Amino acid sequence: MLNQGLAIMRREVFYLCRDRGLRHILLCGSLIGLLLFYAIYSAQVLKDIPAAIVDLDNSSASRELAEKISKAEYLKLVASLESYDDLQELIKQGRVIVGIVIPENFARDVALGRQARVLAVIDGSNMIYATNASAAVLTVTRTISAQAGVSALVARGVQLKQAQEAYQAIDFSEEPWFNPALNYAYFLVLALALNIWQQCCTLAACLNVIGERGMKSWLQIKASGISKFKFFTSKSLAQILIFMAIVLPLYILAFGVFKLPLNCSLPAFLLFTLAFAIAIHSIGTLASSFARNAVDAARFGMIIALPSFVLSGYTWPLEAMPAYLQKAARILPQTWFFQGINYFAFKDAGWNLMSHFILAMLAITAVCYGAAAILIARD
Amino acid sequence: MDTIVAVKDLTQKIGKKTVLDGLVLEVGTGECLGIFGMKGSGKTALLHILAGIDRFTSGKVLVAGLDIRRTEGFKKYIGLVTQERSLFQDLSVAENLDFIAVLKNAGRDNIGPLIRRLELGEVLNQPAGTLEAGLYQRLALACALLNSPRLLLADELIGAIDLESRRIILRELKSFLAGGGTCVWAFSNAEFLPHVDRVGWLEKGKISFYQPAGALARWSGLIQSLAGQGGDSDA
Repeated sequence: MLNQGLAIMRREVFYLCRDRGLRHILLCGSLIGLLLFYAIYSAQVLKDIPAAIVDLDNSSASRELAEKISKAEYLKLVASLESYDDLQELIKQGRVIVGIVIPENFARDVALGRQARVLAVIDGSNMIYATNASAAVLTVTRTISAQAGVSALVARGVQLKQAQEAYQAIDFSEEPWFNPALNYAYFLVLALALNIWQQCCTLAACLNVIGERGMKSWLQIKASGISKFKFFTSKSLAQILIFMAIVLPLYILAFGVFKLPLNCSLPAFLLFTLAFAIAIHSIGTLASSFARNAVDAARFGMIIALPSFVLSGYTWPLEAMPAYLQKAARILPQTWFFQGINYFAFKDAGWNLMSHFILAMLAITAVCYGAAAILIARD
Repeated sequence: MDTIVAVKDLTQKIGKKTVLDGLVLEVGTGECLGIFGMKGSGKTALLHILAGIDRFTSGKVLVAGLDIRRTEGFKKYIGLVTQERSLFQDLSVAENLDFIAVLKNAGRDNIGPLIRRLELGEVLNQPAGTLEAGLYQRLALACALLNSPRLLLADELIGAIDLESRRIILRELKSFLAGGGTCVWAFSNAEFLPHVDRVGWLEKGKISFYQPAGALARWSGLIQSLAGQGGDSDA
């Protein structure tokens, strides 16, 4: 009995190894993805956001403000303009992301202690750029605004120390945990590479049943008398082992070479990954069991695997989605896995939470394998 | 003579078409029953039912005394050569023999003798998908015999293949029957009628039984009546 299982597993490994296209996709797809994404996010944070200043006042006060803005940490002054229209044109052309417009009479208003309005324009067409630009502008304008306030109070006869205390009555200090430098690479690289891995695995699993049933050799299997349960269990075991063998070099590269954060233990993270590998395999097997042919099965796989990453709440919080989508997302193992990456790789949220996530994925697995078994038995 | 195959009122409908219509047949142990019929007459459908590959609409089928609707246990007693190329195309000849032996839970003892008798030694490393028709059929027969079956189901065992392969296959079939094996052999070439003990002539879903000489006589009559319209000797 064991011999049969091992022989079927051996043949499965052999098939995947002999199929050059599938082998390359499975072995190289996620690794190339990791290398590519690591290169893309190597800057880690967005610096040198191109900025322009429109100084309509042209006073020493406005020049001083422009000077301060030009020294902001994440902004890079690329143009000093004379009109609002010029700024508009540069933003349209994508040469400038942030525009600071200093109005006429700026120096006069500051000198008279009136509220002076400075306009910060941000190109919102690229959300990543816009969010970073907004944070960079906020940092610099907050500092300049406080300095201007302190100067105004001093001009009215308030002691410098008192004026400073008045503006810093509450000291808000920011302290990002788990990713102190708010490093994009930490957040995105592993998840994106694992997304490629899960897509490849789902597609491979989608051929589990139809890859046999759609072939003439299915006649030999049926006539041999081997139980379908034993046959597909052995085959599935081999595929899941292959999925895990593929993710190992990915983890070695990510955690060992690129030093992406892994705060829980590697065996625990591998166990978590194994639960996910089994879950996506069960989904692929289910799709494969009702597909009419391999092309259909691949289509089902694509429909499941491609949007699942977006639905998982990794790139946009699950809580911000409509309630019905949140419910739908929780049916997908991808949601539990990609949410779990944050909890376990970043935060080491503990075995209690991890076991909850693993159980959720195993419940999905049980449903999918169960449904697939019924469909296969009815064939 | 014991009965190894007993079929009663077997009906097979595919869509609206009745492929087999209330078939009744018995095959005795050691017998070679030829199922003769034209293309689409239901030969393959009958053999696939006997092999437990396809379900059937109604009737009762016993193989080796076992009701094939209730158990798959009968499959250990059968060997099947399909009309289509159903071996594992990507596996080599040796790998096919090895893998199918494992699937049948048959052990590997028969592999060596079958390679020798069916003269497959020179193509062991060749993928099954690349074999010429004659070699492929020799391999298919070897795979079917791996579990030393009591019943061999052979669908178009000998088609358009080279004479040497034909000689080897007929020799092996004779040896199998001499060893007490039973064969149900479906074919559409009247040339093979003399090689069987009894002929089941399948036509429009019904079966009629003949001795080989009687089947040949009926075939000759058909050929003569069609001579003016230009027939050939194949069904």
